[in-house]
Amino acid sequence: MKKYCGIALGLTLAIFLLGACERPPESAKVGIILPGTGEKAKFGEIEKKSFEMALEEINAAGGINGKKLEFLYEDDTGRPDVARAAAEKLLTKEGVVMLGGGYGSSETFAIAGVAQQDRVPFLVSTGSDNKITERKWDYVFRLNQPVSDYSKALESFLTDIVKPQKVAILYENTNFGSSGSKTFQETCERLKFQVVMNEGYQSGGVDFKPLLVKVKQANPDVVYMVSYLMDASLIMKQSMELQLSPKVFVGGGAGFTLPEFGQNAGKAGELVYSATLWYQTLPYPGAKEYYEKFIQKYKMDTEYHGAEGYSSAYVIADALKRAKTLSPEDVRESLTGTDLMTVFGPVKFVAYEKMTNQNKLPTYLVQWINGKLEMVWPKETATKPYVYPIDWEKVWK
Amino acid sequence: MEMFIQTLVAGILIGGVYALIGLGMTLIMGVMRIINLAHGQLMMVAMYITFVLYEFLGLDPYYSLLIAPPLLFLLGAAIQKYFLNPLLKIDSVIPQNQILMTVGVGIVLTETIRFIFHSDYKSVKTSYSSSTFMIGSISWNVPMVVAFGLAVLLTACLFFFLLKTDTGKSVRATAQNKDAAMVMGINAEWITQLTYGLGAAMAAAGGTLLLPIYYLFPDVGAPFTLKAFIITVLGGLGSTVGAIFGGLVLGVAESLGATYISMALKDAFGMVIFVLVLVFLPGGLKTLTKV
Repeated sequence: MKKYCGIALGLTLAIFLLGACERPPESAKVGIILPGTGEKAKFGEIEKKSFEMALEEINAAGGINGKKLEFLYEDDTGRPDVARAAAEKLLTKEGVVMLGGGYGSSETFAIAGVAQQDRVPFLVSTGSDNKITERKWDYVFRLNQPVSDYSKALESFLTDIVKPQKVAILYENTNFGSSGSKTFQETCERLKFQVVMNEGYQSGGVDFKPLLVKVKQANPDVVYMVSYLMDASLIMKQSMELQLSPKVFVGGGAGFTLPEFGQNAGKAGELVYSATLWYQTLPYPGAKEYYEKFIQKYKMDTEYHGAEGYSSAYVIADALKRAKTLSPEDVRESLTGTDLMTVFGPVKFVAYEKMTNQNKLPTYLVQWINGKLEMVWPKETATKPYVYPIDWEKVWK
Repeated sequence: MEMFIQTLVAGILIGGVYALIGLGMTLIMGVMRIINLAHGQLMMVAMYITFVLYEFLGLDPYYSLLIAPPLLFLLGAAIQKYFLNPLLKIDSVIPQNQILMTVGVGIVLTETIRFIFHSDYKSVKTSYSSSTFMIGSISWNVPMVVAFGLAVLLTACLFFFLLKTDTGKSVRATAQNKDAAMVMGINAEWITQLTYGLGAAMAAAGGTLLLPIYYLFPDVGAPFTLKAFIITVLGGLGSTVGAIFGGLVLGVAESLGATYISMALKDAFGMVIFVLVLVFLPGGLKTLTKV
């Protein structure tokens, strides 16, 4: 038995050594941290596949000045402590040049802390909490819009077109839901809309009618909902049953822009508005092509998270190409000089409000029209004119 | 007032479905003296069966009532025969280690379904899923009303079975005193299988009725196990009449709480009632009746 143990041990060692030798020296390694398991896995998967797709294209086009670009993925499982450990592993063990990814805000914040401490640049692709870029951390860059910008397009739509008096806010009682509802409540106060109701609910409920009956009594002009997919569909279906008819229903992103929402809610989802960060019809070069190529390649739908991942990969490649050497300091230097057009929009890291190294992009408003999600606001990028005012009785017939 | 009535209606309708799911658990509880912690998971399996029949054969979920519950009956009876009954013969530190087995069965069912169907959300979309009719200004959801009606009907059938048939009487006899029942020549082992199968079938019926209005994913079962458990305690362990009222009370309490206090605390209401019943009415609602 002892003999076999020895052999096994020897073999294992040999494999390790071989593995170490086999690695091609000619590659630029970048660590990407995304959720691969856990609740957020679905979006993590879309993003990872987008990173992969971009990577193939970048390497096919010559990589980083002749060197191959390599992404090392780590799973943060949707937990900040795991994210932190993953970042540390990538930095110390793998010696990556920089970090990318970052899905959930808490996980992203944890990774950003490690990156700043170890003085290695980190490009955030999705984590949206404002504080991530508000710490004056010079090694942390962000491609996507911060959460406070999410409702920018919605604000102008409401003040210009709907001009509501009363607003009701419904949210799932999680971090994501309550922070979303708080931000929107503040927005409403700033815009002088009266918030007649601001109530949480437990995700996964069968019957939302008690809540919706209350909304009906309050008779708001706008119903704003921060919900994930299935709650979003059920809330809309049951609103239809109760003939709850405000001037507009608005989803605060998340569940309301996914294709599954259209399938599940059916006609109850018709003419619902939602804020979004990106849409494939935007007039950015390659946006539509990215969308089509992704669907063709992976046989699944993609949305703004995917576009963020795809664009991040290109920003990373661009920064590495322009860097004098592949040392973290030079890469950081080169990231600050980024001025690149991506499928997600133009990328340039600037300081505004309290944030630094933050990319500034507009946000958009979409609406479900005839079972399809259409960009309706701002007017310059609209693919279809918005439908307003809405005759709910006719829509729900 | 309108708000109150609408809330009450919503609570009673959902309470009917809760009662159906709770009944299955209480039946198992009565005969075997264990809490079936795989109950919600059995319901989930039935929902997937209904979903598959709908998706691939285009079978209306209500027709699946003739298929899913019988299949779950077989599954339940098999679980009892091959997993739970053998445990009776083993002496162990924990006298009721069958309960632990039901937890295991629940996990295996969930993960098997996850393996086959992944974690994606699925739903069945029928023409009547969102159809409603109005009585005055109160809206009634058609599938909810149908679910309630069928739940009442199934409960009536169960009562008839338990009170009037020989087999039903054997089930009740086993529940009352297993040893005495065996002395009287009742095959108690077979009765336990029958009961577990029936319980599973009731849960399956509940799940199938719920599908047109709800959605499904592999973890959908656990919250319903908890609800069934609350109902069972609320109604008095093992009491069928108690379970029906338990279900209705839970549904109405959840609805009223959600309307007048906060929907964010919906699940808390069930638990508060659970604690209150244990403190003030340890025998459950059944102590208030004679059945």
